[in-house]
Amino acid sequence: MSEEVKEFPGNGKRRLTFTEEENLRQYLEKERIGVFICHCGTNIAGTIDIDEVVNYAKSLPGVAFAGDHKYMCSDPGQNLIKEKIKELGLTRVVVSSCSPLMHELTFRHAVADAGLNEFLFQMANIREQVSWVTIDKRAATEKAKRLIRAAVTRVVFHKPLEVRKVPVNPNTLVVGGGIAGIESALKLSEGGHKVYLVEKEPSIGGHMAKFDKTFPTLDCAACILTPKMVSVGRSENIELLTYSEVEEVSGYVGNFKVKVRKKARYVNLETCTACQDCVAVCPVRVPDEFNQGMSERTAIYRQFAQATPNKFLIDKRGPAPCKVACPIEQDVPGYLAMIAEGKYKEAVEIIRRANPLPVVCAYVCYHPCEEWCERKNVDEPLSIRELKRFAMDWAVKNHIEMVPPPPLERRDEKVAIVGAGAAGLASAYVLAQKGYQVEVYEASSVIGGMMALGLPPYRMPRQMLKHDINYIEKMGVKFNVNQTLDKDFTIEDLKNRDFQAIILAVGTHRGARLGAPGEDLPQVEQGLDFLKRVNLGEQVRVGKKVCVIGGGNTAIDVARTALRLGAEEVTIVYRRSKAEMPASGEEFSAAEEEGVKFEYLTLPIEFLADENGSLRGMTCVRMELGEPDESGRRRPIPVKGSEFFMDADNVYLAIGLVPATDYFAGSEDMKLDKWNAPIVQTGSWETSIPGVFAAGDLVTGPSTIVKAMRWGKQVANAVDKFIKGLDYSSEVTDLPDPSVLRRNDFINPKWRADYSNVPHFRRSEMPMLAITERIRSWECVELGFSEEVAREEARRCLQCGVCVECWECVKACQPKAIDHFDKDEVLELEVGNIILATGFKTFDAGRAKQFGYGRYDNVLTSLDFERLSHSGGPTGGRMVKSDGTLPKAIAILHCIGSRDQHYNEYCSRVCCMYSLKMAHLIKEKIPDCEVYELYIDMRCFGKGYEEFYNRLLHERVHFIRGKGAEVNDYPSLDPTLRFEGNGKKSGKLFVRVEDTLLGIPREIPVDMVILSVGLESSADAGKLQQIFKLSRSKDGFFLEKHPKLAPVNTASDGIFIAGCAQGPKDIPDSVAQGAAASASVMALINTGEVVLEPTTSHIDEEICTGCKTCITVCPYDAIFFEEVKKISVVNEALCKGCGTCVSACPSGAARQWGFDDIQIESELSAILKEYKREPEVTASGGQRI
Amino acid sequence: MDYLFFPGCSLEFTSRGYDKSSRAVAEALGCVLKDLPDWNCCGATSYMSIRELRSHGLSARNLALAEAEGASELITVCSACYTVLNKTNDYISEMPDFAQKIRTALASAGLKYDGTVRVRHLLDVIVNDIGLEAVNEKVVKPLTGMKVACYYGCQLTRPHGRFDDPEYPQTLDLLVEALGATPVDYPLKAKCCGAMVVSTQRNDLLPLVDALLGAALEAQADCIVTPCPLCHFNLEFYQDDVNRQLGADYKIPIHYFTQLIGLALGLDVRELGFGLELIPSENLISVYAGK
Repeated sequence: MSEEVKEFPGNGKRRLTFTEEENLRQYLEKERIGVFICHCGTNIAGTIDIDEVVNYAKSLPGVAFAGDHKYMCSDPGQNLIKEKIKELGLTRVVVSSCSPLMHELTFRHAVADAGLNEFLFQMANIREQVSWVTIDKRAATEKAKRLIRAAVTRVVFHKPLEVRKVPVNPNTLVVGGGIAGIESALKLSEGGHKVYLVEKEPSIGGHMAKFDKTFPTLDCAACILTPKMVSVGRSENIELLTYSEVEEVSGYVGNFKVKVRKKARYVNLETCTACQDCVAVCPVRVPDEFNQGMSERTAIYRQFAQATPNKFLIDKRGPAPCKVACPIEQDVPGYLAMIAEGKYKEAVEIIRRANPLPVVCAYVCYHPCEEWCERKNVDEPLSIRELKRFAMDWAVKNHIEMVPPPPLERRDEKVAIVGAGAAGLASAYVLAQKGYQVEVYEASSVIGGMMALGLPPYRMPRQMLKHDINYIEKMGVKFNVNQTLDKDFTIEDLKNRDFQAIILAVGTHRGARLGAPGEDLPQVEQGLDFLKRVNLGEQVRVGKKVCVIGGGNTAIDVARTALRLGAEEVTIVYRRSKAEMPASGEEFSAAEEEGVKFEYLTLPIEFLADENGSLRGMTCVRMELGEPDESGRRRPIPVKGSEFFMDADNVYLAIGLVPATDYFAGSEDMKLDKWNAPIVQTGSWETSIPGVFAAGDLVTGPSTIVKAMRWGKQVANAVDKFIKGLDYSSEVTDLPDPSVLRRNDFINPKWRADYSNVPHFRRSEMPMLAITERIRSWECVELGFSEEVAREEARRCLQCGVCVECWECVKACQPKAIDHFDKDEVLELEVGNIILATGFKTFDAGRAKQFGYGRYDNVLTSLDFERLSHSGGPTGGRMVKSDGTLPKAIAILHCIGSRDQHYNEYCSRVCCMYSLKMAHLIKEKIPDCEVYELYIDMRCFGKGYEEFYNRLLHERVHFIRGKGAEVNDYPSLDPTLRFEGNGKKSGKLFVRVEDTLLGIPREIPVDMVILSVGLESSADAGKLQQIFKLSRSKDGFFLEKHPKLAPVNTASDGIFIAGCAQGPKDIPDSVAQGAAASASVMALINTGEVVLEPTTSHIDEEICTGCKTCITVCPYDAIFFEEVKKISVVNEALCKGCGTCVSACPSGAARQWGFDDIQIESELSAILKEYKREPEVTASGGQRI
Repeated sequence: MDYLFFPGCSLEFTSRGYDKSSRAVAEALGCVLKDLPDWNCCGATSYMSIRELRSHGLSARNLALAEAEGASELITVCSACYTVLNKTNDYISEMPDFAQKIRTALASAGLKYDGTVRVRHLLDVIVNDIGLEAVNEKVVKPLTGMKVACYYGCQLTRPHGRFDDPEYPQTLDLLVEALGATPVDYPLKAKCCGAMVVSTQRNDLLPLVDALLGAALEAQADCIVTPCPLCHFNLEFYQDDVNRQLGADYKIPIHYFTQLIGLALGLDVRELGFGLELIPSENLISVYAGK
């Protein structure tokens, strides 16, 4: 039989032609088909003329039997099918009744019982698709006939198929730790089965944990929930994964693979004792979400006192932008928080954690952190450097001896660092921290490089540097001064002295030359050499007129120093314009204030001497700006004929610095670039000599102190890995671009995303020395913040990343449970079944603006009220207004966001009852408070619910039938309520409502309004829908398989839903569904195996061209590529029979069992065929039996 | 930008100030308002309650004329015109039987209407097409310190809230802020002014007007601004009656929102129709006009 079908010309991938359709009759007539038509009581027979349909079926070719039954699904009905198969030797069966979803399996089993393959069967749905959807009997009868004709035509081409059975993994995943999920998990664990309970919040408990009392019994929610939460925590069968989310699900019933992301808690679940010592020291305050934002919590917190697991966690929203912007990643928010709290020593400790030279930075850092400070989006960035200055000054002033923490381990390897500038010292600092034996070789007589030699004392008092150097010395670093590379020692020498690695950080100490005639006159000097002489204490004299050539910070330093040495007129001569000047804005302004003059677009071309050989001036030329050069700045071009003379007694050149080449003269192995800097490997900055690294300005050219420290620290890390024999090729990295940070990563929830609620406070500016005092002294120009100003300024920090990483909690935690470097973990689980109990969210009352939520302090949602009423809530259970006084009248408005076509059409089921409960709780705590319930109608449908309503009627609660229309603070109906006599608002809220029993509009003055918000599908329902491949009904909740008969099943076998994930429901119903879902799971586990439908796809090897289209479209990753044959192959265990590959396959090689083209096409053509071409059928009609 | 403009009857008589200021402000903001040729009554007021279909016929005639002009939008400054024209548009697209009747009626006058014209309020155009930033940039005399009660009335945003929240509208407040003035908290901003009820139930009107004025007084507003001629009329014309009959003492100037924009843009106050009001406003206006 089936062989003949295979030969049917329409079996390939093409449409039936009319000739083929004529041939169809032959194929039909080879079969003996039985057609069984169900009345379904009057469901079908009431609309369809059954006799006519039976007679028509009898007339169809191939039909050996057509009969009907009142209830075909009943035993007698099924027996009729079995009998006729045996009696008439039927080869195919069509049942025309309800939907396949309802009874396909029933009839397939009946067919199988009679000895026929159960897939030689087809169902025609004449109930849901015909009789239920029309009252036109004629049309219904005709459609039924067509559907039956189609089923008969299709079933001829059915092939016998076999079902598959696969074992069921006995472990279960429960997603969501609310009451429904808890119940599911407990029931399964009681049954002896392993459960993974995944909850995205830090604790299980869900919404129920927030509730005060429960209706109608008035049990305390915590009293009945907490024991269950504890049981979950104790159960050996339940693996509790809180603060975790499911990311990916693959596989099929009985055999799911699940990826779960366990978010970093930064607190060890094993060792935390919930002692709360950390809370006492945490400087951060954010709104407590668990208390609906009505109170504050710290960054390290637990959700509530009964949390399960009862452990703390840290709220980190990503590194703050100031930290990311800082080249050495200072924990800026941390020390700001400590300053704000007056814990200055702690602030210094935090600064010292990452910064080898914090005192220097406090005075002269170019502070990129301020540029990126999130506060700039509110008003102005914080004065971060000034705050650091305050902390470091405080430590110096108070003689606070900072002791470096001991290194983690002691290592015997020796590292030599050449150069004691910012980069060299930073390298020394890091390597000493790591326990190495570090020696620094410095060419000059002082430690500090440019910081000691180039920084004028009015920017940073000279004695300040020693505090940083002393600290590094205390770490065990040895300094050798007056040791010049290649003069006093060579790289070879260092190697011979057992140094395992060498870091060259010799900087750029040679001034660039102008190349103009007269440059070698004694009064023409390199600006840097001038500064060095001044800083080393030489008595330096300058003439009356001083010119400084250049536009960088060195030029400004030279100019301001010359002023202080008594120069009468100091002019900075710069070849470009003010806009191109590389000097920092603060330095420029200070110089300008002090009287330094500027000649822009000017270049000296010759220095002229008087008769004594002393400088008398210089010939300059005016410049104009051309096209931008490689630095992006516009190139200066001399203007012809613009030469002019400038008087000058001294000229200082500050036009750039280059490395001193002779350092490396002794080493032929050292490869140098065109600026005579060593060529280094990207990522490690190792030079061409193995084990010799370079760092700082030597590699990058002149830069800033903090950047030099970055490279010094990173090269030290590379050296550490080099010595340990690890991969050290990616330690040195470019500066990150803070603009790539997404702003929503680091918004402290205290400030709304638009910062509209942040009070504006201007940035505190640095107090400066009076200008008249400045230029005749070496006193530091910047005076520093007073303690009061510093603390106030520090308090401006938004703490945008929540946790400020001050690590105070680490110090406070005795069991050492805190790890600020904790990372997310992704677990891969294998489970047989999944229960989704992902709950709901409450309607956002702010969407319905007429009720004033968010505008009036005393308008609360029901969930807010639960917390207000709860003894663990923000007021300890005192039901008070925002001003702390007791309300005298409260209105409870029902159906906010429910039963309203603007928001949600459906009834949220629980609001009437919880509103009654709230009224009761108010009456219990404030007996003389008037309570108004504004309802559409009271839905008290559960056990004991109506009785509870009756009880409330006797508690003198006012019930007003009418939906609350509007809440505001001004009465429009009763003028006498407008003022309390003094013209001020009465402080009352006015609720407008149409009282539909009295038929009048009313305006009720109250002190507090509670909005009984409805339930909506959870915020991540859309995401979950995609992960678990489920359907949702139009209200957004997950769709059950059948609303009555399969309420916890979904269309996906092995995935169940429970609780409010399926729809709004109360606690008893959620618990019942949780238990029902676990019972369904246990049924599958106990069966041990599941039956898989054989309607999977398969690929015809001979036709497949190996284009892989099917692999890319398969949503279940069920198709793989067979490399030997170069064809696609379907893994039937994974295939869910969706048919996507079949429609996508360009060559027609992909097919699906039970859905061959010929089956579908013959069915379609039988439906679409013109009816009039059929022979006329009469009541006595059928010709064939 | 060019807009086809439907002035409506009020602008020709009771609301001359609105007419002048709307045209002056539109021009200053770079819009050309071209009057719909041969326009007729929009069909509003009592007519809608008595002969509903006919009043829609009147309304549809205007829409048909606009469509014949090739316009995709018709701009009005009257909330009643705005509501009625939009209502006719909605009915035509949602109710085939109704649409057929309207088509027949229009055909008798040699007109047809395919439902392609979108009816918009000038407030919507200013806030959403021109934009608050652009308005703010053109402000030469910021209304700093002026406390304004923004009164939207009911017809502008209801029933559908086409460009603002029907229950708690905000556009006018934002616009007033962009002019440099301070919008006060005015909880009755979308409440009914009584509209045409005065013609049959005069005594029902006064308490409504009283509440609206009272709320503005309590918020210490210097004036009330409105985008609706009828609201303007009721609040201004009946202030005396409220004072006399309900024993109050209101002297709150009522202004069209376009007058305030014009003031801030530095336009000539006479061109904006100031001076036509029944409640004297010189003291307030001169402060800003003189700047």
